[in-house]
Amino acid sequence: MGETPIDDRELRDLMTRYQNADAVAVEELVARMSPPLLRFFGRSGIGPTEAEDLLQDCWIRIHRSRHTYRASEPVMPWIYAIARHTRLDAYRKQRRLESREVLVASIPEGLHQTTPEQVLEQDQFARLVASLPDAQREVIIMLKVSGMSLEEVARATSSTPGAVKQRAHRAYTALRRALGKDLESAR
Amino acid sequence: MPDNPQDHGLERRLDEWASPPPDTELSPETRRKVQAMLASSLTPVKPIPPQSRLIFTFLAVFTVCAVGLIAILNKAGFHLMTGVQMGFIAAILAGGGILFSFTLAWRMVPGSRWPIPFSLVLTVSGLVPITGIALLFPWHTSSAFVSEGWPCAALELTITIPSAAVYWLLARRGALFASPGLGASLTALAVFLALIPVQFQCMFQQAPHLLVWHGGAALLLIGLGTLIGEMARRMRT
Repeated sequence: MGETPIDDRELRDLMTRYQNADAVAVEELVARMSPPLLRFFGRSGIGPTEAEDLLQDCWIRIHRSRHTYRASEPVMPWIYAIARHTRLDAYRKQRRLESREVLVASIPEGLHQTTPEQVLEQDQFARLVASLPDAQREVIIMLKVSGMSLEEVARATSSTPGAVKQRAHRAYTALRRALGKDLESAR
Repeated sequence: MPDNPQDHGLERRLDEWASPPPDTELSPETRRKVQAMLASSLTPVKPIPPQSRLIFTFLAVFTVCAVGLIAILNKAGFHLMTGVQMGFIAAILAGGGILFSFTLAWRMVPGSRWPIPFSLVLTVSGLVPITGIALLFPWHTSSAFVSEGWPCAALELTITIPSAAVYWLLARRGALFASPGLGASLTALAVFLALIPVQFQCMFQQAPHLLVWHGGAALLLIGLGTLIGEMARRMRT
């Protein structure tokens, strides 16, 4: 796991105080949650500058939606559900911009598509994870980087724990298979 | 990690990959910028009501509107259906209202628990009515199939649009993320509401009429709602 899990009771307290306009709680919440959120965005295959931009966008959305947090519910799924939508919106925007650029400049279709085998030749595990389907990569990032439980990931992705488990299993199988091939080719 | 990769090599690589690299730490300037940005518009907010109250509100609107519309419109369908048909239709329409009230309430709050996948909700709410109608209602039709049918579809559309608008106004209190799923949830709830008066005023209680002019129109409207959700998402990004 990437980091020590954040105590949800403390986060609930901070969120409640945030809803009551406590400036100290806001500072504390930003200080606590920004590093894991930045890693969440950073592991999604974008550069550090874009990750910081997404982080700021995410905090704006959190701020606008803060009334939808209920003190009886865990904080992490609530925050990561917003972070997930921030990332997905940015991803879709980027894809649309890229598709426009392709139309203008006629970039070959396969340029941005890398198979797990091609990626492994570069011996970069991060790129291998980045080559996983979006839904699988997202689950792996939340489980491993953010240290969330299956239940928390299910809530954050509007899914069920069973579906999350299945996605994680598929991701591990794909990674294991690709790593196996890597070892074979190294022999 | 609850779902163990069961491979030490993979586990080690994943742990190395997941560990925070020093160069991706948040810069103090960005942190201060975010803190200042939030502090500048910091006001107390009232938390959203509990999930049960949101669902109750949606269902109350559903019931009041349905009862009101039945009272206003013709009730010929009541007398033309058998007890079994009536029971099935009432259960389906009430079930649809409850199911989509739940899904809309889940969508309003990020990180809500979804006990049932939305794809399953859509599949069940489509297949069960189609199968039930096909089995319980007679399979004969008249030569005036179109002229008898389109007024039902038009009435369904007429009731769905304002109902969807009312539900959207109610749901806006939440943190709604524009998406095809949101469009589908909103329209489906409005469509199930519209189907109640349409079904009970209809004089043509035969399977082909119900499937095409009631069910087909409902599917088209939900499809349209899904499309509007997708368009709203594209406009947003």
